[in-house]
Amino acid sequence: MSIEIEAFTRVEGNGGAEIIIENGEVKDVKVKIFEGPRFFELLTLGRHYWDVPDLEARICAICYLSHSVASVLAIERAFGVEVPEEIMLLRELGLLGEVLESHALHLYLLVAPDLFGYADAIRMAGKHGEIVKEGLTIKAFGNYLREVIGGREIHGINVKPGGFGRYPTVEELERMERQSEALLKLARRAVGIFSGQEYLGAKAEHYVTVNGYLYGDKLIADDGEHFDYFQHIEEKTLPYSFAKQSRYKGEVFMVGALSRLMLKYEMLTPMAKHLYEEYKEKFAQGYVSLNNLAQAIELVYALERTGEIARTLLDKGFEGENVPIEPKEGEGIGYVEAPRGVLVHHYKIDEKGNIAYSNIITPTAFNHAIMELSLYEEAKKRYGSSDEMTFLQKMEETVRAFDPCISCSVHVVRL
Amino acid sequence: MMLKLGVFELTDCGGCALNILFLYEKLFDLLEFYEIKEFHMASSLKEHDSFDVAIVTGTVSTQRDLNLLHYARNHSRYLIALGTCATHGDVQASVEGKIREKLEKVYGTKANPMKALDSTPIVQHVAVDYALPGCPYDKDEIYQVLMSLAKGVEPPTKDYPVCVECKLNEYECVLVKRGIPCLGPITLGGCNAVCIKSQLGCIGCRGPLPKEANPASEFEILKELGYDEEYIRRKFKTFARGELRW
Ligand code: SF4
Ligand code: SF4
Repeated sequence: MSIEIEAFTRVEGNGGAEIIIENGEVKDVKVKIFEGPRFFELLTLGRHYWDVPDLEARICAICYLSHSVASVLAIERAFGVEVPEEIMLLRELGLLGEVLESHALHLYLLVAPDLFGYADAIRMAGKHGEIVKEGLTIKAFGNYLREVIGGREIHGINVKPGGFGRYPTVEELERMERQSEALLKLARRAVGIFSGQEYLGAKAEHYVTVNGYLYGDKLIADDGEHFDYFQHIEEKTLPYSFAKQSRYKGEVFMVGALSRLMLKYEMLTPMAKHLYEEYKEKFAQGYVSLNNLAQAIELVYALERTGEIARTLLDKGFEGENVPIEPKEGEGIGYVEAPRGVLVHHYKIDEKGNIAYSNIITPTAFNHAIMELSLYEEAKKRYGSSDEMTFLQKMEETVRAFDPCISCSVHVVRL
Repeated sequence: MMLKLGVFELTDCGGCALNILFLYEKLFDLLEFYEIKEFHMASSLKEHDSFDVAIVTGTVSTQRDLNLLHYARNHSRYLIALGTCATHGDVQASVEGKIREKLEKVYGTKANPMKALDSTPIVQHVAVDYALPGCPYDKDEIYQVLMSLAKGVEPPTKDYPVCVECKLNEYECVLVKRGIPCLGPITLGGCNAVCIKSQLGCIGCRGPLPKEANPASEFEILKELGYDEEYIRRKFKTFARGELRW
């Protein structure tokens, strides 16, 4: 017999799960990703490099800018182009905006209704309007950063190989500095709200992240190794899912906010680091649902860091000039931490500047295996001891903790 | 009387559904008239009997999508195809090749247990009452349409190219002045020429301008600028498959 979760709700994209029961025990869980494949790697083949980041942005709306930046980094590496620090800092501002927009959406609109016992944030707003409003305010600021850096709230085309179409103005940077400071107390409150969430799912034993906080040139894991994704990460396809599953050196691992805090707390900004230390023992438990608390701490990080960068750029001033690009044959990988975790764009480009090979691996695909394991653990714990409503509710909450973004997980290819 | 609203997401990037949440306080204005009965990205509530308005985003890319689309059509008074995926197919519909070959390239097998289909826009499968393109669409447009429906008036429509909005904003023409390939002249306006604000060319995300567009002359202009035919062909079909003929 099996229990079917037809479709996860309050997650992005279409997926469900099958919990297989044998002799009164949970035998297996399958996370079924039935969102249709969108074949992004095939889409980019033969396309001119200049147009590619705009196409890749369409993989996912919640983190479109992570996709454009990862794509741009891969293209620049393929051509051996180095951009000045100011351009990297501006890109980082966009990525920070994405963290704010995405985490706020997830925490306040998708997870908070579980904590307060509602079907959604709209219904929750009646009694807890203040909290929903705070979340929307943080989210709107994240979107402001995406709009200024990325060109618009969703699918902007301003992030380009070599620089930007349009550079932000002094007024825009000043607004970023001001608002990030003002929103910090809301983010601190979020940490309080989400620290009370119960432990759900498996315990993560292995973490993988990019080596810098939001972007980098290698991956790192909890064993300290620096590596390229194809060295230690194997992917396999499944008959019941359009998303593949991956293992790090054969082991199930986790990517995302929790992994970032666990492996890179030294890079955190002062207040975020302080908060991490306050909850350090909790985090050491490793339960995957702690991802939500980690996201709340990252709201603090993203706001502090936004202020820092805006100040630096305002003090130092910047040229606002793009680095010219000469297409040549090459290969490059872009590593970015999308809000949900490691994002890889890997291209080979021919001498005319057209894409000859493309491989993209998204965080939800990396997390697919641990998501399945988490549902299995949670189902084992609860099957037979909670009533069916609670059982299904907890299963959904467990999946939701990963903030899975299903649309983006379904076109993993190696040609 | 509150109107019953359903948001159905087929295969897509999630942007068109997400953009509804980005309406912020305007969303709360809409909720004075509408009750959300289905919106799986935002709510765990599912109350499926019938809908006054069904919003459908995404393309039909699986048999499941197709079933869901028919379900939405058969249970609603008005159906809105929202976003370029729904109206023209968007990027996924421009991927060439047959579904089995594509599956083989990605998953290493021609087997199709989950019934994937070649991506097609929903307008190809069912009659729709309103089609609002845009990748993503302009938030104000869906707000206007939903408000108009609630008040029983005909929603406004747009029928001018992106170029008009460039002129209104006094942006310098990137195509003529800088030789940047820009699809503004043949693309339906309504985005406030946001990409030209970034001094980049329009990539055509709102789909082709119905009626007066002249893709043949755009094609010639781009050729004269030195872009090869294959490049232009691909650019034209990115968001709207083969709909732009020249
Ligand atoms: S039209 Fe664009 S924004 Fe809307 S769902 Fe499709 S890809 Fe996403
Ligand atoms: S300018 Fe063109 S590509 Fe940009 S948003 Fe408008 S229609 Fe889309």
